[in-house]
Amino acid sequence: MTQDNSAKILLIVDDSRLSRMMIRSMVLAQHPNWIIIEAASGEEALESVDQNMPNFCTMDINMPGMLGTDATEQILLKYPNIRIAIFSANTQEYYRTHAAKLGAQFVSKPITEKSIVKALEFFELEP
Amino acid sequence: MTQLSELQMDALTELFNVGVSRAAASFSEIVNDRVELTVPKIEICRLAEIGEKKLSSDEKRRVGAVSQRFSGAFDANALLFFAEEHTLKILGDMLGSQVSADELAEFEQEAMCELGNIILNSCLSAMTDMLGITLNSSLPQYYIGTYPDLSKALVGRTDDSYIILMDVTLAIRKQGVEGQIVFVLSTPSLASLVSSLDRLIENI
Repeated sequence: MTQDNSAKILLIVDDSRLSRMMIRSMVLAQHPNWIIIEAASGEEALESVDQNMPNFCTMDINMPGMLGTDATEQILLKYPNIRIAIFSANTQEYYRTHAAKLGAQFVSKPITEKSIVKALEFFELEP
Repeated sequence: MTQLSELQMDALTELFNVGVSRAAASFSEIVNDRVELTVPKIEICRLAEIGEKKLSSDEKRRVGAVSQRFSGAFDANALLFFAEEHTLKILGDMLGSQVSADELAEFEQEAMCELGNIILNSCLSAMTDMLGITLNSSLPQYYIGTYPDLSKALVGRTDDSYIILMDVTLAIRKQGVEGQIVFVLSTPSLASLVSSLDRLIENI
């Protein structure tokens, strides 16, 4: 993993505090200078994106209120340059294909070092 | 009774969410259709209340239930419910259109056990992967009856111990099929599960 010295903003969207803590901790281990912000729902994520303009976003699917895939679609319509990794244990073909169609990267839960690396590699792809 | 902290409750819900999401993916592969999930609900209640409070929203409705016991770092009884009239639809999807309705009925017990085995083990294996533990599973058993009959038979006891009830619905919208997964853990098993969760939280 190449170390990037420029500070990036990552928005973590997950209704589970545990998942947000795990993602935050594993990402900061790789990129200690990144700014991490959090949202607990799709609706909160939409507000946060407008306010904070993150570079990257991790998105859970199954949350109370708006589905993470719907939030992803809305975010990417408005801000197509944000890189979004959709994290879910629901590995159904529908969700994988849907994520790809939206231009997001599907990453399987549970959250592990390996799944975080997959998301980070997607974030760091050349445009 | 163990009072779970907000973070422990969150971790428990996420653990179950990961488990049922994996289960939905397996179910989707079996029926070759999209399976939708509700956000899992977790409640801690007395064992004796299950039949009255949780599973009897429609007391007369007959359901098919696959039950499987898991043991190891903690013990749990995992249950998968479908309305009885939905089980043949699911089996039709599993076995294909060339199998007659009579033959489907003949296979019901065996096929529902296999379906339950795959779905419940997908769920449990995702949870054990996350916790870094191992659980052994018993052979699945299939029951048909009303919710009150089943909850009594499946839970087995009606004492005052507390249990954790984790409830989620899996739905195949096109078919109008809905199933529920419920986990029942005894008080000591709940304490063991919470210890595993605490270790997971400490290691973040």
